[in-house]
Amino acid sequence: MRRREVVQFLGAALALPFIPRGAEAAIKFGKALHLQLGDVPFRTLNREQQVLVTTIAEMIIPETDTPGATSVKVPEFIDLILTEWASDDDRAAFLAGLRDIDVRAAAMGSNRFVDLPSAKKVELLTALDGARGDKAGAGLAFGRLKALTVYGYFTSLRVEQEILKVQMYFNGYQGSVPFAPAV
Amino acid sequence: MPPMTYDAIVVGSGISGGWAAKELTEKGLRTIVLEAGRPIDPAVDYVEHVLPGEKRYRGMGNRKQVERYQPIQRHTGACDEWSSKFFVNDLDNPYSFPEDKPFYWIRGRQVGGRSIMWGRCVYRWSDLDFTANAREGYGVDWPIRYNDLAPWWSYVEKFVGIQGRRENLPQVPDGEFQAPWPLNAAEQKSRDILLTKFGGERVITNARLAVLTEDHGGRQKCHLCGHCARGCITLSYFSSINATLPAARKTGRLTLRPFSVVHSVIYDPAKRRATGVRVIDANTKQMFDVNAKVIFLNASAMESTRILLNSATAEFPNGLGSSSGELGHNLMDHIMDGGATGTLPFAMDRREIGNRPDAIYVPRFRNVKTKHPDFLRGYGFEGRAYRPDWERGTEMPGFGASFKKSLIGDLGPWELEFGGFGEMLPRHENYIELDPHLVDAWGIPALRVNCVYSDNEKKMKEDMVVSATEMLEALGATNIRPFKIDHPPGLVIHETGTARMGRDPKTSVLNSHNQVWDAPNVFVTDGACMPSTANQNPSITYMALTARAVDYAHQLLNRREL
Repeated sequence: MRRREVVQFLGAALALPFIPRGAEAAIKFGKALHLQLGDVPFRTLNREQQVLVTTIAEMIIPETDTPGATSVKVPEFIDLILTEWASDDDRAAFLAGLRDIDVRAAAMGSNRFVDLPSAKKVELLTALDGARGDKAGAGLAFGRLKALTVYGYFTSLRVEQEILKVQMYFNGYQGSVPFAPAV
Repeated sequence: MPPMTYDAIVVGSGISGGWAAKELTEKGLRTIVLEAGRPIDPAVDYVEHVLPGEKRYRGMGNRKQVERYQPIQRHTGACDEWSSKFFVNDLDNPYSFPEDKPFYWIRGRQVGGRSIMWGRCVYRWSDLDFTANAREGYGVDWPIRYNDLAPWWSYVEKFVGIQGRRENLPQVPDGEFQAPWPLNAAEQKSRDILLTKFGGERVITNARLAVLTEDHGGRQKCHLCGHCARGCITLSYFSSINATLPAARKTGRLTLRPFSVVHSVIYDPAKRRATGVRVIDANTKQMFDVNAKVIFLNASAMESTRILLNSATAEFPNGLGSSSGELGHNLMDHIMDGGATGTLPFAMDRREIGNRPDAIYVPRFRNVKTKHPDFLRGYGFEGRAYRPDWERGTEMPGFGASFKKSLIGDLGPWELEFGGFGEMLPRHENYIELDPHLVDAWGIPALRVNCVYSDNEKKMKEDMVVSATEMLEALGATNIRPFKIDHPPGLVIHETGTARMGRDPKTSVLNSHNQVWDAPNVFVTDGACMPSTANQNPSITYMALTARAVDYAHQLLNRREL
């Protein structure tokens, strides 16, 4: 999925009128734009939602010999997108979907996803992974959470620099270099 | 403010305005370039090496701000988190269209215009294109042919610096090329297979691109960062800022005035010549005049015509150059977003190194040797074979350590996309006019655009899907995803026409040297001048027409005929 498609997947095609109301709101908006991501506190996700999002994001991209989603602040990135970027409808659908994930967890014996035993967590996420094309509910929330986790992880500066080692200068183009996957 | 006086005025500093400035100053004319937008400082404004991780929204763009201030511009992919500053504020620069006929007018108002973020594809036309109108009865016949323009294409190509592969295809004649980059492994294999399976009719070649593969004219060869639309600090791709304006400045005869919004051309009915232009300072909104012997309108196709429409006189109540009744008419764009993507079954043990900033190109093959039953003219494909790398992770199944390892350690199979770019017929009923109720931020009457695609373009797009799918099937591709996305005209950003050249002042606005029939010291050499639009990307043709027109204007000035 290319960047443009990620944007569309997240709902950018929906037009959303937006303008800061009044001087105070405009100043606040301007300040917010200039904050660095690391300085942005959670503004949309409440404490329970933060724990849920962080748990699932870390299950999607866990800490191994390289950083995981939490280490590079993917949950904070997701909160930023929900707060400043997503439409009201998209945000509401996502948050409703998070609630639905806990409803699905309840059917498996725990009131919250985060309280499920590890094997049950994997079982539920596997089911949701197959339903991430859903238009609403837990499948939709997982699909968007997964897309944002992958995107937020691989576009974090630390991953770009330390893992992907993104290069901006090349002394000539090579179109056919031997390659074997390291998996 | 007393009028300023120069030998020549150029309105607009984009891809054709830069050429007009270069050629006029190099021929000894003191020239002022009036640019409506702000100056650009490459050291500050070029941001091609800023990583997504350094951007607040990681490259997803400041969605809400763009939706508020750039509701039209946001529809083009290049209006992103890095480059949205190079596209206009739609609130300051309004235009209208009927509710059922949307038109996306994508604009850049700054020194360099859209040459900063253009697609850089450059193709010559052939007489298949120049004769099409006369042969098929659409629009008017071009007043020139390939041989009239060929030396001027050569002239500009040598200065621009173009990487391309010589193919000896009559429908896209070869030009003056630097060495091409190699195709990548998957593209080369695809080229070999299609050459065999389609008998040489469908050729995958390098997109001919105005990007340097060798140092040239004080500009460095491309360093393959892959983000040309964000600027280029090594000046490796051609733009007005990188190439023509510095050449003009070197003569000592260039005055470049940003923040200068041209309102209209001033016409003297006694002399039957234009005497200058009326300008509004974008910051102070003060109006002033600039006088000159010769005026080149290079404000972009629709803006140049808007200036002419705003230059009405008693003799020309519908705008300067309107005596034929064709000023504003015959608006064209290209058509795109028909094609297919597939997963290739080969070259899994190969990768590329370097972000080659070009595409592949399949030159037009419809209506070249045989006639297609459903539509006139033709289309070419742009495309690219690429391995999606980690980006495939947003849609592939799985999660956890092995999922992560796969995204880091593997690249995914090669994907190949063919996306068609096709010709739009010139039709009188596609036109622009002044909106009687709408003005821009400087009080200048704005445009109303009336433009729709015809059945010919729609059928062409259907065929793009068919032929792209055929090629992917011939390559043994799997997971073939045809696409046909409807979009309003304008979005290809190849708007042309509205002040067409021709042989007869009764049916055209400009003569064969781009002079306005009604005001011969006014030249229009941007996209407005085109009687048809072929299927090739148009900018190199604007450049060649501009250089040719300046040469002609210079001859007339020397003979005191302007």
